[in-house]
Amino acid sequence: MKVSRLVLYVAVAVAILVVLPAFLSHSLVNAVNQMLIAALFACAFNILCGQGGMLSFGHSAYFAIGSFATLHAMGVMSSESLLPTPLLPLAGALVGLMVGLVAGWFSTQRTGVYFSMITLALAELLHTIAPHLRGLFGGEAGISSMRMPALGITFGSDIHVYYLTLAWVVAAVGAMYFLTFTPLGRLIFALRENTHRLRFLGYNVHNLGTITFALSAMFSGIAGGLQAITIETSNYSAFEMHLSAEVLLNAYIGGVQVFFGPLIGAGVMTFFGNAVSDMTRNWLLYKGIIFVLVMMFMPTGIAGLLKLLGESFRKYSLPLLVPALLLSVVSTILLTMGTVFTVEMMQRGLSQDYQMLARAAGSAGPPPILLFGREWFPGSLITWLLSLGLLVGGGFFVWFSRSRWKMLKETDEDESVLLPKLGDGSGKAGLNKRENV
Amino acid sequence: MEYFTISLFNGVVYGLLLFMVSAGLTLIFGMMGVLNFAHASFYMVGAYLAYSLQKIFGFWPAIVLAALLVGILGMVVEAFFLRRVHRYGHAHELLLTFGLAFIIAELVKLFYGNYPLNYRVPDALNFAAFQVFGTDYPVYRLLMGGISIGMFILIYLLLTRTRVGIVVRSAIYRPRMAEALGHNVPLVFMGVFGVGAALAGLAGAVAGAFYTTNPNMALELGVIVFVVVVVGGLGSLEGAMLASLLIGLISSFAVGIDLSLIDFFGLFGAREWAESVGGVLALKISSLSATIPFALMLLILLVRPSGLMGEKS
Repeated sequence: MKVSRLVLYVAVAVAILVVLPAFLSHSLVNAVNQMLIAALFACAFNILCGQGGMLSFGHSAYFAIGSFATLHAMGVMSSESLLPTPLLPLAGALVGLMVGLVAGWFSTQRTGVYFSMITLALAELLHTIAPHLRGLFGGEAGISSMRMPALGITFGSDIHVYYLTLAWVVAAVGAMYFLTFTPLGRLIFALRENTHRLRFLGYNVHNLGTITFALSAMFSGIAGGLQAITIETSNYSAFEMHLSAEVLLNAYIGGVQVFFGPLIGAGVMTFFGNAVSDMTRNWLLYKGIIFVLVMMFMPTGIAGLLKLLGESFRKYSLPLLVPALLLSVVSTILLTMGTVFTVEMMQRGLSQDYQMLARAAGSAGPPPILLFGREWFPGSLITWLLSLGLLVGGGFFVWFSRSRWKMLKETDEDESVLLPKLGDGSGKAGLNKRENV
Repeated sequence: MEYFTISLFNGVVYGLLLFMVSAGLTLIFGMMGVLNFAHASFYMVGAYLAYSLQKIFGFWPAIVLAALLVGILGMVVEAFFLRRVHRYGHAHELLLTFGLAFIIAELVKLFYGNYPLNYRVPDALNFAAFQVFGTDYPVYRLLMGGISIGMFILIYLLLTRTRVGIVVRSAIYRPRMAEALGHNVPLVFMGVFGVGAALAGLAGAVAGAFYTTNPNMALELGVIVFVVVVVGGLGSLEGAMLASLLIGLISSFAVGIDLSLIDFFGLFGAREWAESVGGVLALKISSLSATIPFALMLLILLVRPSGLMGEKS
């Protein structure tokens, strides 16, 4: 029952993705393409982080290496392409796997916070050295290449690239999902849960960690390769820390304890990033706030939230559930509106252009700020009362909805284990310093 | 000789600055097991606050105020953020501070814009202390070094010679036992977090005027500070001092060394071969100055994971 339902969901999702380009403009197809790549990357990251319990802070390195390998395979500076275009991500996969084996061998010598520090150091090492290795990474300008026609397809249009990406992402995610059912996949989970026991059972924990790392790097390399095929260029900034941060944020917002969590997280966050980045410069701030909120109040991420919703619908009768749900939704909307309004007002009011205008206006008072199709005066009390009101109202509704949820839970106390045990996965993730002593 | 002397001075001063930031980080780690990603953000906030405050209060009061405010910010972070997620484990705390660092960087961009600030050393302090080989040596550098050394002595005495220090050290060493003996360990945690943050803020306020103050300064320094703390040994104040000086000297000396592996092979008569290989062999040490600390950190982690002076592994 459960497996057949999963197959159904996946089939529907893939079918939607296949027919999607017929209804979307080119720029939107590109956006979906980026979503797919980010989703694959987050999923690859999660092999190491969510399943293996090893927190990497330098995963952009393997994505970037996959990108550069694919570009070299595509042919830099008029040299011939080594592989037909559809197979190019294989280059990223292969080089990712090899680099991952080496990097993994080093980093998995240690566990916990030391592991994280080694991954960070390795990524920063590559980041600082890459601009000086002209032959490989093309210096500060980077390297670029061209997609060549192959198998009767020109790969000139975005649609072709989109289907290529889709095929690779579906295949790679399928492979990763399959991996979780293999003995190796099970051992990776064991690595997260209890390394000591694994060692006593006679497994070589270090080798296992290295393999996990290498597999994760390989799939990241595929994602990097797809990125290279899409944008046909890359430079050393691909090694930057903020890309590692992005995949980490995406994965955790989606929820690392569920296989499809990071996919959802990366998809949703990239979609919003694309949709919102034209409207606001503060997308990263919102993303950071979402991440911290998830970490503090919803450690299982979006996936955990969906699961909770599903369970609530099964457990509680609708007349009881709907008011609580509505209250939660209202509080979320109010808080979001309040935050967005405040941040956007402040950003516009504090920008250099506006400050100059305000100074020029002199005694006439600061000019109005155009926001959401209306003019707001930063000097007037109403503007700030509105933002305060939204935030306070949101807070009130949060309190209200919480008491409602509490009432709901009290109605059937015997089944009180509704919330998934939040701390379990991360607590055993090996970062516990004193555990490692 | 000129190169040597100037690099030595600059390296030591830079190292002392690194120590100011890493002291708090290493103490917090030793005590709570949390590697605080937001620590370098406190450094940045210190610089920005000092910039804003000095317009109103003047330079010195601004620096003290900025350090105090950042200390309060640190306490808020500990009490309202970290403590809430403590039960989910250290990985979770690490990730939370990571998210906070992200937010702080974006907020700084929101308030001050995404470009370097014009935060400068006041004219009264902008003169030469002495001359080294015909070049003026700025007094402000000496001042930064002096503040850092003073701070080291102060913390060291505080930790080893006072009753508060004993409680703090016992809370670092055996938090549960200290709690069982009736000490308010959460309060100690919050205090140490606040003091650590204040030190980072002080460093930022002092150094921001000399080096550049921009929204990337947290990230740039943050990674180096991690290197320092890991190399020195997580939780060890003396180790942090040693590693800071080491990294400071390495960075400052490497910039001026114009040698590469080709020259090394040249010693054995294999210069042509090395030149034909190029690539990594042709990299000059000067261009690797940013890379060497990370290589050193990898080496330390693999050879002596507890760091130079660390006790716990």
